[in-house]
Amino acid sequence: MSEKIYSLLLRLFPCHFRKEYGEESLQLFRDRARHEKGFAPRLRLWLDLLSDLACSVPCQYFRAEPELVAVSGELSGATPSFYFMGDESPRPGALLLGALLSLTALATFSTLLSQGGVHKPRNASVRQLRQSAAPPAHPRDVAGDKNSLAAGVNETRASSSFDQDDSGNSTPAAPNEVSTAAAVPIAHGNVDAAERQRVLNAAIANLKQHYIYPDVAQKMAEALLANEKRGEYDAFADGDTFAYQLTKQMRDVSHDMHLELVYSQDALPPQPTKEQTPEELARYREAMKRINCAFEKVEILGHNVGYLKLNFFPDRSVCEQTATAAMASLNHADALIVDLRDNRGGMPNMVALMASYLFDHPEYFYNPRENTTQASWTHSPVPGNNLAGKPLYVLTSSRTLSGAEQFCYNLKMLKRATLVGETTGGAAHSGVWYRIDDHLGMGIPETKPINPYATPDWAGTGVEPDVKVKAADALPTAVKLAQSKLQKK
Amino acid sequence: MPKRKLDPLPSAAFQILLSLAEEDLHGYGIMRQVAEQTGGRMRLGPGTLYSSIQSLLEENFIEELESREDAELGRERRRYYRLTSAGRKLARVEADRLAGFLRVARTRKILRGDYV
Repeated sequence: MSEKIYSLLLRLFPCHFRKEYGEESLQLFRDRARHEKGFAPRLRLWLDLLSDLACSVPCQYFRAEPELVAVSGELSGATPSFYFMGDESPRPGALLLGALLSLTALATFSTLLSQGGVHKPRNASVRQLRQSAAPPAHPRDVAGDKNSLAAGVNETRASSSFDQDDSGNSTPAAPNEVSTAAAVPIAHGNVDAAERQRVLNAAIANLKQHYIYPDVAQKMAEALLANEKRGEYDAFADGDTFAYQLTKQMRDVSHDMHLELVYSQDALPPQPTKEQTPEELARYREAMKRINCAFEKVEILGHNVGYLKLNFFPDRSVCEQTATAAMASLNHADALIVDLRDNRGGMPNMVALMASYLFDHPEYFYNPRENTTQASWTHSPVPGNNLAGKPLYVLTSSRTLSGAEQFCYNLKMLKRATLVGETTGGAAHSGVWYRIDDHLGMGIPETKPINPYATPDWAGTGVEPDVKVKAADALPTAVKLAQSKLQKK
Repeated sequence: MPKRKLDPLPSAAFQILLSLAEEDLHGYGIMRQVAEQTGGRMRLGPGTLYSSIQSLLEENFIEELESREDAELGRERRRYYRLTSAGRKLARVEADRLAGFLRVARTRKILRGDYV
């Protein structure tokens, strides 16, 4: 045993020494081991050997090779040239290891280079950020989809509400539906001077109280008050324009695209409470059951391409079973198409759950609404899941909003999916919702989540698809892409 | 030109030369002889021993003899080494040099006694 250890230690010596004296050294070790028995002599033997190794191994490496001595004479004044010093060819193992290391280095470099496009240094894109911070042409664009803002914000605050369609009708029977439906629309968008004053004061109070950067909030408040003093708001009797102007002025000061003041022609739902009542929850469960938790279609198409149409991301605590069952039935597909063309967003916890199936390791899923937490990571790998490495196509439309855009944005940034369809709606709604009155409310960012990508998120701009086609053509296009990819394999 | 490995003569190399002064020895024999002549203070490990032997061989201060068995140590064949006349001369020069140091040490009353 100890001889074996020593023979391994001998490998520390350079090859030329081992070749010449390796066997002699082992012999010497054997002789000493044979004569020096007992604990103390054996201990002394090993101490001798180790100190001997420490002294003589470096010396051996510094020994001048006879060939080198000969060459050094020839080198003076001559042109630079290479000399091969080795007297034997490398072992096959060493050659294999060398080849493997070279390949790894090559692969690492090429991966880093190809990633370079997305992971630009953050400072490099300041101009781009500024451009996107410029307010859109029309107030409606600023507000995005007011209902979904209100609903989206509710998700953060109360975990109770879901995005609704443009007409104000709730798609699923969300808990806030009742109050929304009960509201009576007022005559087209007029706000009188008293209301403007009230809204302005409330907006300033909200900013000062809730905005993440108090100094910027103070500056915004001063700017708004100065504008008011100059009578700039007197002309805006129309609610939409008034809200747009306030939003623009807040953004001019803060350059924060997530800050917005929203006018809604329909009465806004009451400020959501933090806790859901048991009745609300029961109603929600019932509604989810009726629509199969928004999993509209789960099918296997030709060439074993899985197809999932999800119309919003329901609350995980209620719909986890449905989601798990849907993914299980797609588990053996060779490629997957996720249709989010009618998906208005929803709960981040369901976004994370669905994303978990797409990776074999936890991935950071950026969410503009939340600080980085445990929940910002996918729960990958999912036991028994086969979909992690499969080709993935996500169908988008201009009606793809909010949480669905979060899903698209992250998959695109992680280069996990090919997005097929139209640019998404651009509703990031990262602010926390504060209702001012029946028709006006504002989103105020209270957290500063970390976006790991240098490009700005989809707020106001939407997520660009990889393959741009009309929403109606997205499915056949994706099917073709998937099938031709599978055939190439 | 690289530094000459035996100038100044390392004490291990000097002890090896001394150990071979009376008889031809193999590696283990040299190691035991050196341990004996230094009162157990110097136990040469294989690395140091064979590095020194290599250097001494290169400079022709010792020579390698044909391998043979050592009856005492079993049937393994061993390389034996012999001191050359150049090696003997080198050992003498080194011994003189050390003796010179000793004389100085004695005149400075650092070393007492009258032998050496």
